[in-house]
Amino acid sequence: MSAPTMEERKACWGARDEFWQCLDRHADDASKCEKLRLSFESRCPQQWVKHFDRRRDFLKYKRKLETEGYHPPEDAGKS
Amino acid sequence: GDFQLLDQDGRRRRKSDFRGRWVLLYFGFTHCPDVCPEELEKLSRAVRLLEREPGLPPVQPLFITVDPERDDAAALGRYVRDFHPRLLGLTGSAEEVRAAGAAYRVYASAGPKDEDGDYVVDHTVLIYLLGPDGLFLDYYGRSKTDAQIAQSVRRHMETYEPLLD
Repeated sequence: MSAPTMEERKACWGARDEFWQCLDRHADDASKCEKLRLSFESRCPQQWVKHFDRRRDFLKYKRKLETEGYHPPEDAGKS
Repeated sequence: GDFQLLDQDGRRRRKSDFRGRWVLLYFGFTHCPDVCPEELEKLSRAVRLLEREPGLPPVQPLFITVDPERDDAAALGRYVRDFHPRLLGLTGSAEEVRAAGAAYRVYASAGPKDEDGDYVVDHTVLIYLLGPDGLFLDYYGRSKTDAQIAQSVRRHMETYEPLLD
Protein backbone atom coordinates (compact mmCIF):
# COMPACT_ATOMS: atom_id res chain seq x y z
CA MET A 1 0.00 0.00 0.00
CA SER A 2 1.67 3.21 -1.22
CA ALA A 3 1.83 6.22 1.01
CA PRO A 4 -0.63 9.00 0.09
CA THR A 5 0.67 11.54 -2.44
CA MET A 6 0.80 15.26 -1.69
CA GLU A 7 -2.54 15.70 -3.47
CA GLU A 8 -4.14 12.92 -1.46
CA ARG A 9 -2.74 14.39 1.78
CA LYS A 10 -4.22 17.79 0.99
CA ALA A 11 -7.60 16.27 0.06
CA CYS A 12 -7.59 14.43 3.40
CA TRP A 13 -6.62 17.51 5.40
CA GLY A 14 -9.29 19.56 3.58
CA ALA A 15 -11.99 16.99 4.39
CA ARG A 16 -10.81 16.85 8.00
CA ASP A 17 -10.92 20.66 8.28
CA GLU A 18 -14.44 20.80 6.83
CA PHE A 19 -15.60 18.15 9.29
CA TRP A 20 -13.95 19.97 12.22
CA GLN A 21 -15.43 23.31 11.15
CA CYS A 22 -18.86 21.66 11.15
CA LEU A 23 -18.24 20.29 14.64
CA ASP A 24 -17.18 23.78 15.75
CA ARG A 25 -20.43 25.21 14.39
CA HIS A 26 -22.52 22.56 16.18
CA ALA A 27 -20.76 22.39 19.55
CA ASP A 28 -19.21 19.02 18.70
CA ASP A 29 -22.56 17.37 17.92
CA ALA A 30 -21.25 14.81 15.44
CA SER A 31 -24.79 13.77 14.42
CA LYS A 32 -25.08 17.14 12.64
CA CYS A 33 -21.98 16.44 10.57
CA GLU A 34 -22.44 12.89 9.34
CA LYS A 35 -21.97 13.65 5.66
CA LEU A 36 -18.70 15.48 6.29
CA ARG A 37 -17.60 12.68 8.60
CA LEU A 38 -18.11 10.14 5.83
CA SER A 39 -16.24 12.38 3.39
CA PHE A 40 -13.36 12.69 5.88
CA GLU A 41 -13.26 8.91 6.38
CA SER A 42 -13.28 8.26 2.63
CA ARG A 43 -10.46 10.67 1.87
CA CYS A 44 -8.08 9.65 4.66
CA PRO A 45 -6.41 6.35 5.54
CA GLN A 46 -8.05 4.76 8.56
CA GLN A 47 -4.88 5.25 10.61
CA TRP A 48 -4.98 8.97 9.90
CA VAL A 49 -8.66 9.22 10.86
CA LYS A 50 -7.78 7.70 14.25
CA HIS A 51 -4.79 10.03 14.57
CA PHE A 52 -6.84 13.13 13.79
CA ASP A 53 -9.69 12.04 16.10
CA ARG A 54 -7.16 11.81 18.92
CA ARG A 55 -5.71 15.18 17.89
CA ARG A 56 -9.17 16.76 18.08
CA ASP A 57 -9.76 15.29 21.54
CA PHE A 58 -6.38 16.55 22.68
CA LEU A 59 -7.02 20.06 21.33
CA LYS A 60 -10.40 20.17 23.09
CA TYR A 61 -8.82 19.01 26.35
CA LYS A 62 -6.07 21.58 26.01
CA ARG A 63 -8.62 24.37 25.41
CA LYS A 64 -10.56 23.20 28.46
CA LEU A 65 -7.43 23.34 30.60
CA GLU A 66 -6.63 26.80 29.33
CA THR A 67 -10.11 28.18 29.99
CA GLU A 68 -11.29 26.21 33.02
CA GLY A 69 -8.05 25.18 34.70
CA TYR A 70 -7.14 21.74 35.91
CA HIS A 71 -9.57 19.82 38.14
CA PRO A 72 -8.15 16.50 39.37
CA PRO A 73 -10.61 13.61 39.21
CA GLU A 74 -12.86 13.44 42.35
CA ASP A 75 -11.67 10.08 43.55
CA ALA A 76 -7.92 10.63 43.00
CA GLY A 77 -5.58 10.63 45.97
CA LYS A 78 -8.07 9.75 48.66
CA SER A 79 -6.55 7.48 51.26
CA GLY B 1 29.58 6.58 14.39
CA ASP B 2 29.27 6.29 10.64
CA PHE B 3 26.00 5.15 9.15
CA GLN B 4 25.60 3.43 5.81
CA LEU B 5 22.24 3.86 4.10
CA LEU B 6 20.72 3.99 0.60
CA ASP B 7 19.29 7.09 -1.05
CA GLN B 8 16.18 7.25 -3.23
CA ASP B 9 18.26 6.35 -6.31
CA GLY B 10 19.64 3.26 -4.61
CA ARG B 11 23.09 4.82 -4.07
CA ARG B 12 25.04 3.98 -0.93
CA ARG B 13 25.50 6.95 1.36
CA ARG B 14 27.69 7.09 4.45
CA LYS B 15 27.63 9.81 7.07
CA SER B 16 31.20 10.66 5.99
CA ASP B 17 29.88 11.51 2.49
CA PHE B 18 28.39 14.63 4.04
CA ARG B 19 31.64 15.89 5.56
CA GLY B 20 32.37 19.40 4.38
CA ARG B 21 28.63 20.14 4.06
CA TRP B 22 26.09 21.78 6.30
CA VAL B 23 23.12 19.46 6.75
CA LEU B 24 19.55 19.95 7.97
CA LEU B 25 18.26 16.50 8.92
CA TYR B 26 14.78 15.25 9.72
CA PHE B 27 13.68 11.74 10.73
CA GLY B 28 10.17 10.71 9.68
CA PHE B 29 8.15 8.31 7.54
CA THR B 30 6.17 8.64 4.30
CA HIS B 31 2.89 7.36 5.79
CA CYS B 32 2.97 10.19 8.32
CA PRO B 33 -0.43 11.97 8.62
CA ASP B 34 0.66 15.57 9.04
CA VAL B 35 3.73 16.31 11.14
CA CYS B 36 6.37 15.05 8.68
CA PRO B 37 5.02 16.93 5.63
CA GLU B 38 4.74 20.08 7.75
CA GLU B 39 8.26 19.79 9.13
CA LEU B 40 9.76 18.91 5.73
CA GLU B 41 7.91 21.83 4.17
CA LYS B 42 9.38 24.09 6.85
CA LEU B 43 12.87 22.60 6.46
CA SER B 44 12.66 23.15 2.70
CA ARG B 45 11.55 26.77 3.16
CA ALA B 46 14.49 27.35 5.52
CA VAL B 47 16.87 25.91 2.91
CA ARG B 48 15.35 28.14 0.22
CA LEU B 49 15.76 31.21 2.46
CA LEU B 50 19.44 30.36 2.90
CA GLU B 51 19.87 29.68 -0.84
CA ARG B 52 18.75 33.25 -1.54
CA GLU B 53 21.62 34.69 0.51
CA PRO B 54 24.81 35.27 -1.48
CA GLY B 55 28.05 34.00 0.00
CA LEU B 56 26.62 31.28 2.24
CA PRO B 57 27.71 27.67 1.78
CA PRO B 58 24.95 25.36 0.48
CA VAL B 59 22.84 23.39 2.96
CA GLN B 60 22.01 19.74 2.26
CA PRO B 61 18.43 18.83 3.25
CA LEU B 62 18.26 15.23 4.45
CA PHE B 63 15.37 12.92 5.35
CA ILE B 64 15.98 9.58 7.08
CA THR B 65 13.10 7.16 7.46
CA VAL B 66 12.05 5.62 10.78
CA ASP B 67 9.91 3.12 8.81
CA PRO B 68 12.36 1.09 6.69
CA GLU B 69 9.79 -1.70 6.41
CA ARG B 70 7.67 0.36 4.03
CA ASP B 71 9.95 3.24 3.00
CA ASP B 72 12.16 1.72 0.34
CA ALA B 73 14.11 3.80 -2.22
CA ALA B 74 11.09 4.06 -4.55
CA ALA B 75 8.79 5.25 -1.75
CA LEU B 76 11.37 7.86 -0.70
CA GLY B 77 11.74 9.05 -4.27
CA ARG B 78 7.99 9.66 -4.60
CA TYR B 79 7.92 11.45 -1.26
CA VAL B 80 10.92 13.79 -1.24
CA ARG B 81 10.29 15.36 -4.63
CA ASP B 82 7.25 17.19 -3.21
CA PHE B 83 9.42 19.28 -0.88
CA HIS B 84 12.78 20.36 -2.32
CA PRO B 85 14.70 19.28 -5.44
CA ARG B 86 17.85 18.59 -3.41
CA LEU B 87 16.10 16.79 -0.54
CA LEU B 88 17.86 13.46 -0.14
CA GLY B 89 15.95 10.54 1.36
CA LEU B 90 17.78 7.69 3.09
CA THR B 91 16.69 4.19 4.02
CA GLY B 92 18.30 0.82 4.72
CA SER B 93 17.85 -2.29 6.78
CA ALA B 94 16.05 -2.04 10.11
CA GLU B 95 19.40 -2.32 11.87
CA GLU B 96 21.12 0.37 9.81
CA VAL B 97 18.20 2.79 10.23
CA ARG B 98 18.02 2.11 13.96
CA ALA B 99 21.76 2.83 14.28
CA ALA B 100 21.44 6.12 12.38
CA GLY B 101 18.55 7.16 14.63
CA ALA B 102 20.40 6.16 17.79
CA ALA B 103 23.26 8.48 16.88
CA TYR B 104 20.82 11.41 17.31
CA ARG B 105 18.85 9.94 20.21
CA VAL B 106 15.83 9.65 17.94
CA TYR B 107 12.97 7.75 19.52
CA ALA B 108 10.85 5.73 17.10
CA SER B 109 8.11 3.22 17.82
CA ALA B 110 5.75 1.65 15.30
CA GLY B 111 2.15 1.45 16.45
CA PRO B 112 -0.18 -1.52 16.04
CA LYS B 113 -1.19 -2.50 12.50
CA ASP B 114 -4.82 -2.19 11.50
CA GLU B 115 -6.62 -4.67 9.23
CA ASP B 116 -5.03 -3.06 6.14
CA GLY B 117 -1.61 -3.51 7.70
CA ASP B 118 -1.33 0.25 8.03
CA TYR B 119 0.31 1.82 11.09
CA VAL B 120 1.84 5.07 12.25
CA VAL B 121 5.29 5.48 13.76
CA ASP B 122 5.56 7.61 16.85
CA HIS B 123 8.89 9.45 16.71
CA THR B 124 10.94 12.38 17.94
CA VAL B 125 10.05 15.47 15.93
CA LEU B 126 13.18 17.56 15.50
CA ILE B 127 15.19 19.09 12.68
CA TYR B 128 18.91 18.63 13.34
CA LEU B 129 21.70 20.93 12.14
CA LEU B 130 24.99 19.18 11.37
CA GLY B 131 28.17 21.15 10.71
CA PRO B 132 30.77 20.38 8.03
CA ASP B 133 32.71 18.17 10.44
CA GLY B 134 29.65 15.95 10.78
CA LEU B 135 28.99 16.99 14.37
CA PHE B 136 25.58 17.89 15.71
CA LEU B 137 25.33 21.66 16.30
CA ASP B 138 21.69 22.49 17.00
CA TYR B 139 18.12 21.26 16.80
CA TYR B 140 14.77 22.88 16.01
CA GLY B 141 11.37 21.80 17.30
CA ARG B 142 7.84 22.25 15.96
CA SER B 143 7.56 25.79 17.27
CA LYS B 144 10.57 27.11 15.35
CA THR B 145 9.66 28.84 12.08
CA ASP B 146 11.51 28.56 8.78
CA ALA B 147 12.91 32.07 9.29
CA GLN B 148 14.12 31.25 12.81
CA ILE B 149 15.84 28.10 11.55
CA ALA B 150 17.50 30.00 8.67
CA GLN B 151 18.67 32.72 11.06
CA SER B 152 20.12 30.14 13.46
CA VAL B 153 21.91 28.29 10.65
CA ARG B 154 23.35 31.56 9.38
CA ARG B 155 24.64 32.40 12.88
CA HIS B 156 26.27 28.98 13.18
CA MET B 157 27.90 29.44 9.77
CA GLU B 158 29.28 32.82 10.80
CA THR B 159 30.75 31.57 14.07
CA TYR B 160 31.82 28.13 12.89
CA GLU B 161 35.29 26.88 13.84
CA PRO B 162 36.22 23.33 12.84
CA LEU B 163 36.74 21.03 15.84
CA LEU B 164 38.09 18.14 13.80
CA ASP B 165 40.57 18.05 10.93
